[in-house]
Amino acid sequence: MRPRRPEPHTLAGAYAMDAVARADRVRFERHLARCAACAHELAELREATARLAGAVAAEPPGDLVRRAVASAARTPQLRPAVPGPAVRRRVLRIYLPGSLEHGRWPAHPTWSLRSGLAIALAAVFLAAAAASGVTALTAAHRLGTAELRDHQIARVLTAPDAIMLTARARPRGTATVVMSHRYRSLVLTTAGLPPLPAGRRYQLWLMGPSGDRSAGLLPIPRGGMTSPVIATGLASGDWIGLTVAPEGGSPHPPSSPILMLNLTT
Amino acid sequence: MPGADLGALLGEVAKGDQAAFEALCSHAAATVFGVVRSVVRDPFQAEEVCQEVLLEVWRCASRFRPGRGSALTWVTTIAHRRAVDRVRAERRLSEREQRAATHSIAYDEVADTVAARLDRERVRRCLGSLTELQRESVTLAYYGGYTFREVAGLLGVPEGTVKTRMRDGLIRLRDCLGARR
Repeated sequence: MRPRRPEPHTLAGAYAMDAVARADRVRFERHLARCAACAHELAELREATARLAGAVAAEPPGDLVRRAVASAARTPQLRPAVPGPAVRRRVLRIYLPGSLEHGRWPAHPTWSLRSGLAIALAAVFLAAAAASGVTALTAAHRLGTAELRDHQIARVLTAPDAIMLTARARPRGTATVVMSHRYRSLVLTTAGLPPLPAGRRYQLWLMGPSGDRSAGLLPIPRGGMTSPVIATGLASGDWIGLTVAPEGGSPHPPSSPILMLNLTT
Repeated sequence: MPGADLGALLGEVAKGDQAAFEALCSHAAATVFGVVRSVVRDPFQAEEVCQEVLLEVWRCASRFRPGRGSALTWVTTIAHRRAVDRVRAERRLSEREQRAATHSIAYDEVADTVAARLDRERVRRCLGSLTELQRESVTLAYYGGYTFREVAGLLGVPEGTVKTRMRDGLIRLRDCLGARR
């Protein structure tokens, strides 16, 4: 209609009434993630729309509630978005020898982690990397960045604000994530995911108010583990999702991810 | 039931409490069913969508953030979104859009259906206090499940105008209805 794109802010009313097609929805949600005033306004507009709903309240068929309760008994619930028992968060500190542009390094040319749990998780992480060809990870657990194929991965692993998260996949397997807000990036490895038939691959997604973005296919597992992949461009409110996709990847995330992990800390 | 209690119930539901879920359903089902039926219209499908909504409430109860609005608002937001998704999918399938291409048919159809069910005098009065374009835009969008672009087409008004009328209309509605229930 108009030659220039109007402010997404003006979409608030239409958005509050779900009167937006997907592209507009994504555009507004991207704006919403950065606009506290909009979130406040949206909450107020939604109170009005809830009243519109209440105005047409109608008694449902007699057994509707009973059937809903029966289905609920068979339906698993989403875990809380805040850290729960299956999602462990630890600050991960990795100290490297040599010259790196960020962070301060101790005298010891080793890396240390804050807790035993994190050490165990990191071992999984590093073993996955080693098993699948990132050769820089030596038996002595020394990271030599010069040898890392992907400097970006090293940068995230060694970021001063690196955080480690793990999550379980369904039906089995775990994903381990090291995330840096500073670099808006994360590195992910997996262990123990079920092998996939030929022509199928695991695909990583970033999902959130900024829309759903593919972060690429995971490498084919070796020794039950996938080598680290990096996802950049993390946005506020993002989740990661892991799905099973055709060989070339899928343009949209299917509705049934095998793993979801909230990155909000 | 006061909003705070519904919020507390939702908190229990999030912990997997089926009795709390049943209580929550009993309190919210009429609102959910009402709004879904208004948008979806077909009673059979409305029932189906209603089931989906209640199950989604069960599944996602842990995602409710009390700071962002009341529990009932959260539930109706889910219900409306689901209903709209269904009716849009239906429209794409049956190409009902062509039938609805004339504004008079679409608006009258939606408005008639809604008028019969607008049993809350206050909401009706507040809707009546909107300008004609605000009221038509809000009614077609919320109860009709149309996007603002579709509404613009139906009403023969620029998209930008409809968009601002929707926002202005909702703000006016909110002010008219007052903050308290």
